Amino acid sequence: MSPNDRYRVAADVGGTFIDFALLDEETGELAFEKQLATLSRLAEEFMEGLARLPLALPAIGRLSHGTTVAINVLLEERGGRVGLITTEGFRDVLALGRGGRPEIYNWLYLPPEPIVPRFLRREVPERSAPDGSELVPLDLEALDREVDALVAKGVAAVAVCFLHSYANPAHERAAARRIKERHPDIPVSVSSELVGEWREFERTSTAVLNAYVQPAFSAYLTELGSRLAAAGYGRPLAIMQSNGGVMSVSRAVEQPVRTIASGPAGGVIGAHALARELGLDNVICTDVGGTSFDVALIEHGEILERTETSIRGRPVLAPTIDVVSIGAGGGSIAWVDERGTIKVGPHSAGAHPGPACFGLGGEEPTVTDAHIALGRIDPMNFLGARMKLDVEAAKKVIRSRLGEPTGLSLERAADGMLAIAETNMTYAIRTLTIERGLDPREFVLLSYGGGGGLFAAAMAEELSIGIVLVPRAPASFSALGILRTDYRHDVSLTRVRPLEGGTASDLAADLRDLGELTEPELIRYGFDRSTIELLYRVEVRYAGQEHTVTVPVEPPWLEDPAALAAGIRDRFVESHRRLYGHGSPDATLEVVTARCRGVGRVTPPPWPAWRVERPSEPVAARSVYFRQAGDWVDTPIFDREALGLDQRVAGPAIVEEWTSTIIVPPGWTAVVDGLGDLLLSPNGAA
Amino acid sequence: MRSPGNDVDVVRAEIIRNALTSAAVEMSRTLVRSAHNPLLYDVQDFGLGIISSEGLLWGEAPGITTFLGALPDTIKTGLEKHGTDGFADGDVLIVNDPFLTGTHISDVTVYRPVFFDSGLVAFAAASAHWADVGGKTPGGFAPDSTDVYQEGIRLTHQKLVSAGSRNEDLWQLIEANVRFPSIIRGDLEAQVAACRQGAGRVHAVCAKYGPEAVRESMAFTIRRTEEAVRRQIARIPDGEYRASVRLDSDGASDTGPTISVCFTVAGDRIRVSFEGTSPAVPSPINEPAIGARADLRSALKGLLMPLDPANEGHFLPFEFEQPPGLIVSPEPPSPCDSYGYVGVALINLAFLALADGIPDRCPAGGYQMLAVYLYRVDPRKGRPFILIEPIDGGDGGRPHADGPTIVFAGDGNVYNTPVEILENRYPVRCTRYKLLPRVAGAGRHRGGFGVRRDYQVLEPGTYLQVVIENTREPLARGLAGGRDGKPSAVVVRPETPEETTLTDRISSFGPLTPDDVVSVRSGGGGGWGDPFERDPGAVAGEVRDELLTPGEARDVYGVVLGPGNGDPAVDEAGTERLRARRGSRAEAPRR
Repeated sequence: MSPNDRYRVAADVGGTFIDFALLDEETGELAFEKQLATLSRLAEEFMEGLARLPLALPAIGRLSHGTTVAINVLLEERGGRVGLITTEGFRDVLALGRGGRPEIYNWLYLPPEPIVPRFLRREVPERSAPDGSELVPLDLEALDREVDALVAKGVAAVAVCFLHSYANPAHERAAARRIKERHPDIPVSVSSELVGEWREFERTSTAVLNAYVQPAFSAYLTELGSRLAAAGYGRPLAIMQSNGGVMSVSRAVEQPVRTIASGPAGGVIGAHALARELGLDNVICTDVGGTSFDVALIEHGEILERTETSIRGRPVLAPTIDVVSIGAGGGSIAWVDERGTIKVGPHSAGAHPGPACFGLGGEEPTVTDAHIALGRIDPMNFLGARMKLDVEAAKKVIRSRLGEPTGLSLERAADGMLAIAETNMTYAIRTLTIERGLDPREFVLLSYGGGGGLFAAAMAEELSIGIVLVPRAPASFSALGILRTDYRHDVSLTRVRPLEGGTASDLAADLRDLGELTEPELIRYGFDRSTIELLYRVEVRYAGQEHTVTVPVEPPWLEDPAALAAGIRDRFVESHRRLYGHGSPDATLEVVTARCRGVGRVTPPPWPAWRVERPSEPVAARSVYFRQAGDWVDTPIFDREALGLDQRVAGPAIVEEWTSTIIVPPGWTAVVDGLGDLLLSPNGAA
Repeated sequence: MRSPGNDVDVVRAEIIRNALTSAAVEMSRTLVRSAHNPLLYDVQDFGLGIISSEGLLWGEAPGITTFLGALPDTIKTGLEKHGTDGFADGDVLIVNDPFLTGTHISDVTVYRPVFFDSGLVAFAAASAHWADVGGKTPGGFAPDSTDVYQEGIRLTHQKLVSAGSRNEDLWQLIEANVRFPSIIRGDLEAQVAACRQGAGRVHAVCAKYGPEAVRESMAFTIRRTEEAVRRQIARIPDGEYRASVRLDSDGASDTGPTISVCFTVAGDRIRVSFEGTSPAVPSPINEPAIGARADLRSALKGLLMPLDPANEGHFLPFEFEQPPGLIVSPEPPSPCDSYGYVGVALINLAFLALADGIPDRCPAGGYQMLAVYLYRVDPRKGRPFILIEPIDGGDGGRPHADGPTIVFAGDGNVYNTPVEILENRYPVRCTRYKLLPRVAGAGRHRGGFGVRRDYQVLEPGTYLQVVIENTREPLARGLAGGRDGKPSAVVVRPETPEETTLTDRISSFGPLTPDDVVSVRSGGGGGWGDPFERDPGAVAGEVRDELLTPGEARDVYGVVLGPGNGDPAVDEAGTERLRARRGSRAEAPRR
């Protein structure tokens, strides 16, 4: 390891804050930093936060970056104006979707609106057959005409999806080339480069959503890249992907849709490591940030993953940690709907203008305003007193925007906002646990993100969860997780072929090629070839089936096609029988997709022990409104950094630290464990 | 009402309810992932549920509401045949007799009893639309059968697997009677696998909480659900709510049969009756009694508690007066293969009737069921295939929004087939799939658009079947002053001298020759509210989107467009003048 590699930095960019974690690999020491995040000057703020770390930028060996830029744009539907180019006859594929009625009894059901309105969906003559052969050549003049028209209508990005491009991407590539020549400033999302799978609607949706987030995403990363270079950071920046690994900036700019679960992924990787350290098998990972609330599950010690995600009803095809994400966080705006009831989110005030109490011009009540109005957050000590919050502004906007239209008192309106936000959050947890038949009472609720501690006990109460765990520095927990993330590079090749002796040698060759594509990507991050792990998988089905089963391939099989064919067959038949209860040993098999994942392992930092021995007294007291009491209660305030090992704090109480606030409600007790985690339980629970 | 609810652990009850629903969802995942027929793995033409040992619905996966509503009664007919002690652990049964399942012969239900400690607890059941069941019409949905024997092989709760051992004779008998035996075997295996999966999950829930707790919790859930539905019914003003529609043809003459339904609301009860409904007809558009009840139950459940996953409690408050021998209650051997039109009509009639009582919850009428089949069954003419395509169309305008373009009511969460899958699997090319705006019923909230989907036939020996109805009297009726949606049509060889428009159900049309085009045009939804009250900005947006012409904007919606900066813009003053002029001689709103 060169001296350079001793220091690693991870940055987790959320909708409201950027969190930094710095690790000294030699000593295991950690340092944290936090910086307000504003959509319009994110890169600048990133650099400001980075500069406050106790280490000069050129000394940093590896910089990893988790980002919620893409997901927040999608959740809040604030992307750029996208134009779509399709095969002639198919401009409405995006609007028609799959035609289903997922709420089967809801006779008033409405599918999500297409991201691209019809006048920006344009057709060009071209057509491929299912085998990839050309039926109608791509009409470049028509393409020029249609794209020029889109540009004249002010599109910021263009998506291209042609029928059967998974079988032959030539037309899509030619179109993309032509568009880039004519309009070099317009980013182009090409469906086949994002998804090598059939199903035109899902592929179009993925390409369109990619284009939708691209302008904001690439502007941000491009600016950040040049600022980092100017400040003397020469190594590549690694961007967290939804699959729990990292990728390069150049790839991320082309495929921002692969980062939709980037932010949550870091936290889940961290949660997985902490759960292992504490010997916990079943963990509900919850992250309350400024703009979104994310839930993921660790069941029997494994992180749950999936390949298709739906964001506000719109499909995205990409490998991802299974995260349910909803627009609920500290910045979520509360409003009154046409029936006179209060709604919270999905719109967020972000950091600018931010909550009304930030005093930056926010005029809409946010969840943070409700906490402030009810005395739950100390207005004088927010972000270690780096920011003073305006209590009166928070109260005023809650009264005028919610209290007056609904006739509720300030307390009832503010508490009602929080109750609704809590319900939204618990529903997200239910979709992952109860609705799968898993009993949340058998899980520990791990709560991180700056706002986690404000909601954790209330959510646990709603779900009858007996143990809540708030780790140290919860606001920086995702950044801490990113530090523990292995470098990962996934490549795949979709080519439907029967699995027989002849094709097995082609398949082996393809798999070896995939491995050779993977290695250099990881070497670029500084890994030695000998330390890189290559994991091969193939997706296999019976001829006649549509869906596949993923089968791991052992590297020695790549040198022996007969062993490859036999090994895949054995594993597939076994899996198919286990999953579906039947499976013929000799029926024809088809290999659909070959995959290779390259992994460069990082040394995980140790978990430092909690060194404060002596219990401490409250540092202050203030009046806080509790729903359980229905009134204001004089509440002791504790400093988390001063709590002693095994110290018990009885509710009602509030535990404060630099970047977060933890509420211990009446009837609950908190205790400090050996790593400094705070464990909250209802009194009388086992 | 005395309720022992206090003894029930409500959290446990909620978890058990969700665990059973989730068991059904896992069954559907298994079926989708291992099926061989795109109608199952892509279109999702199926219904899966967990049914109690008494035949009560405990949990279901999103699927076709008709199937789901009919599953409990299907299990009851099995219980009648075999008796509660007529099942053994490891049995798998099969049934498709329409008089036992309530739908048509192509929908095959496979189910497996779940035993715990040698006691029967529940059934895991999977209904799925098969690619073929024999009979006179390839792929089923016969348009012209005159009795049920012509429609295919009937299975009446036989044991495919008996206490874990396969009844190979039965499997072979089925394969010998269907046109696509390898697809059928693959799908049947997938159904058996799904039931095994569901049974395993139910068993696990019993192992964890005990079978008594499961029964108790579900009894509690069903009771609480029923009470909630009754509270909703109590909010509907007491009275009789009626609606009726005439279908195009009874198959024997030019007269169409009438479907007429009456909902009598009294306090927290709804009685459903069918005065004025025609007797069963000698063509296969009869819907068996179980299916007709299932359709109306799901219509009412959806109007009263739309988002709740269903259990038996949602259906208990509805009483049916359904004398035998009607088109909604045919007796054997009446033909039933094209039962779906009556089902879709019944659901839409419920909206149209109850709009007088709960106007905020009822959409306008939606388009009638539409599907095309393209197939070749004679192996001497080429590789046999069958493509079955339900076509999306216009749903009714909502009280608060425009109607969407989705699959017809009653078909639940059925999907269209991706063009890329279709072209990979069949010698057919899709040359166009677009919105068809003209057919939508105008309104303050317009009805959903239809679609145009064109298929080019690539190989000889291909035949066409058309599933179509209500082309004369529309089902997609407007509400509150909205206009009716226009009906569906299928045009063969469009824009050629041989152009033929089909508006009647028909099978074996052809043979079509390579390059012949079949252009399917689905109907639009009915509009909701007076078109002259539509937001002029929305009208201008649809002109910009090439969904309306400026002339239609003016004549239908009273919106005058002025010269904008490239895009159409509303001429506010002109629009106000035009709308005021019409307002003085406005026609009375009609239902």
